[in-house]
Amino acid sequence: MGYLKYLVFRILNAILVLLIVTFIISALFVKVAEESNQSKMYEELMQWERTEGAKIKQTQGIEAFEQAKAAKQASLEEKYELNIPYWEKVYNKAVRTLKLDFGTTSMPIFGTNNVSDIIKVAVPRSILLFTTATIIVIILGLFLGVRAARHAGSVFDRSLSIFALLTYSLPMWWTGMMFLLIFAFKLGWFPLSSMFDPQLTGWEHVKDVLWKLALPVFTYVFVVFGGWAWTTRNIMIGTLQEDFIMAAKAKGVPEHKIIYGHALRAAAPPIVTMIIFALLGSLGGAIISELVFNYPGMGRLYWVALQQNETNLLIGLTYFFTVLYLAGVVLADMVYGFLDPRVKVGASAKM
Amino acid sequence: MRWVDIKEGFKEFLEEFKREKTGIAGVILLVILVLVALTAPYTTMPDLPTKWRSSAYWEDNPKNVPPSWYNMFTSQKLVPQQIYYVDNLKISHPSDTETVIEADYSFPEGYYYGPQGIIIRGLNVTLKAPSQAPTMDIYLLRPDGKKIPLLKDKQLSSSTTISIGRDSAISTNVYIWMVNVTEGREITPFEVPLETILISDMVAPMFAKVEPGMDVEKIIENPEPLWGDYKLILEVKNPAPKYNQVDYSNIKMSFLGRSYGTMGTDYLGRDLWAGIIWGSRVSLTIGVLVSVLSTIIGLVYGVTSAYLGGNSDEFMMRINEIFASIPSLPILILIGATMGHVTLWFIVVLLVIFGWMGIARIARSMALQIKEQTYIEAARALGAGNGRIIFKHILPQLLPYAFAVIALSVPGAVIAEASLSFLGIGDPSAVTWGQILNAAQAQSATTKGYWWWVLPPGLGIAVVGLTFVLIGTALDKILNPRLRRL
Repeated sequence: MGYLKYLVFRILNAILVLLIVTFIISALFVKVAEESNQSKMYEELMQWERTEGAKIKQTQGIEAFEQAKAAKQASLEEKYELNIPYWEKVYNKAVRTLKLDFGTTSMPIFGTNNVSDIIKVAVPRSILLFTTATIIVIILGLFLGVRAARHAGSVFDRSLSIFALLTYSLPMWWTGMMFLLIFAFKLGWFPLSSMFDPQLTGWEHVKDVLWKLALPVFTYVFVVFGGWAWTTRNIMIGTLQEDFIMAAKAKGVPEHKIIYGHALRAAAPPIVTMIIFALLGSLGGAIISELVFNYPGMGRLYWVALQQNETNLLIGLTYFFTVLYLAGVVLADMVYGFLDPRVKVGASAKM
Repeated sequence: MRWVDIKEGFKEFLEEFKREKTGIAGVILLVILVLVALTAPYTTMPDLPTKWRSSAYWEDNPKNVPPSWYNMFTSQKLVPQQIYYVDNLKISHPSDTETVIEADYSFPEGYYYGPQGIIIRGLNVTLKAPSQAPTMDIYLLRPDGKKIPLLKDKQLSSSTTISIGRDSAISTNVYIWMVNVTEGREITPFEVPLETILISDMVAPMFAKVEPGMDVEKIIENPEPLWGDYKLILEVKNPAPKYNQVDYSNIKMSFLGRSYGTMGTDYLGRDLWAGIIWGSRVSLTIGVLVSVLSTIIGLVYGVTSAYLGGNSDEFMMRINEIFASIPSLPILILIGATMGHVTLWFIVVLLVIFGWMGIARIARSMALQIKEQTYIEAARALGAGNGRIIFKHILPQLLPYAFAVIALSVPGAVIAEASLSFLGIGDPSAVTWGQILNAAQAQSATTKGYWWWVLPPGLGIAVVGLTFVLIGTALDKILNPRLRRL
């Protein structure tokens, strides 16, 4: 199978999955919205009965009241889209979502009702926080991991492994709470809430943002880099035992060149995959971590949407995450196929 | 495999495992954790989960106070909880109609504040002549000889609870007394500033220096401790002892501490130590159950997919991708929130549904290699069915790998459960670490500095995670020398 054919196959595959997932999430969220709309409609109808309905009952009698009530109910059902069958709504919603028409929210968030605009405000903030942190993690992780692999069994290697195992079991949001306690409450170095100050502009704004980013970024790096270093170390140790490294060593290639030229290149495919997913994952933000730091990014937005039952926003965000994930899969496959020719001809040719 | 082989293999494995220091450490930790979880009803109390929900049960505890051992690290020592029952009190009867109850409380030197409050309950009154109901006066006799009248002529009934520190009438009396001592004048209750009474700590000034010439506001703001022996005096007057009886045998006087127990208390006065101990049960159960179930499902799914090959494989992998590409945490939150009533079993099912995909992928890629081997060919030639080949010939090959995966995926499951509980979607009838942290976040414990409420539950999660990571990496090293997980 040629590279291009392989690529087209992967992309078509991703689109198919995206279609199905869009229908599934539409079905799920429309169901939830239907339930809440039903109760909203009954509430409004009761309200009407108590005020206008009561008036009609008094002046025009019970028959006119029944008629008026039926008319009111019909108009309300239309307003809350309860007169359309469930599957038709799911279909409409899914098609509109695929066309990137997410609709509006019932309450304004970030000063707008348009779901696309809201997402456009939140995404850069999450990028700022998590992508910065992820880049730091990648650099730190790769560097320390390679170092540990070179000196496998040393004190440095062992302490790095222990640190990685410890941080692997820590929930990031809890670590964030602890860091807030230590660095923000006790020492007062950082702010207790990372919500930006909307009044500042220019240089003052940049300073404000940097100051508020510092603690969340530090938390993320602290929890994640150990695992990265450890994984890099394991991959590198595996590659360093391969025959071609031995051959290079026997030829007298300098160690520095063996590590960074030969071994790291051979170990690249899995590491690149990890990097792609880490970077794409960083766009989504982390719901709970952003909640803990009160950071106004994607994760917190998701939570707000859930709390306020903003179905359109929820579908928009979920769709966004799904597209990101699938793009990551395709991208990772592309890079993998590019870096490792065996992928296209080996077992995966039968995929 | 024959039984003897299994026995041999197991022995060999044990020998190797003994050499892995990290694995041994993990097993020791696991044994401790299991013991703690199993003995929770005996080491704390048998029905904590039901009591955890009722705020009334914890009323005799101080609220938001750190553990007692914290005193070792601070210069400002915090008094511990002290409870008096009938045997620790001096009860005398000066006349037929009078009873005096005295509690000796010592406020030792070096401690920063007096108690957080005093709660008196358990006076059983049988009323037959309500017009002549017994009344009670309460005084606090201080080491400097001053006497604070806390309550006068309080009518007693069976449900009378005196709560010094939470009762505004008593706080008003304390304020009036302070003005009287410092300025020498008598004020009426209407002259007492209401905000001060309701907001500030009115118990600390009772155990602080109050001298003529001092400023009342300053005493309230920054009380200087007055160490020494205090006496809380209850004078009960029962004008008709023949009709109305007062029974003192159940009396309980709690001098609320400024520190409490092993782990302090939360905003309802709940003993956090007990909560932490009970939380280990849920954490361990969910972590192990979810990882075992999702590993089994993932293995069988991946192997089946690889073995069937062709269109079935294609179809099964698409389903796998669909599950993998749905963002799981938001969907979990949504399902949990709309279901309303969530049980632990439901959480396990949800986490398994969204947790088997990765294992299925790895299992599939491993099975693809195994299925090409000749003995599978041979088995098929002999007429073995698909099910037999999958379960008898391919799956056992993956078992060692499975054990490592199970151990290594426990931390993820524990964190996932804690995250859901933290967001308020958990089994309301269980006590979990996530729920304790949820309450801490809701009461903004971090921004108030209540470290004893935030630190232990997270450490618990970390310890459970570490235990299984240690065991998992040790297993990984022994059982899969060539299979390096990415």
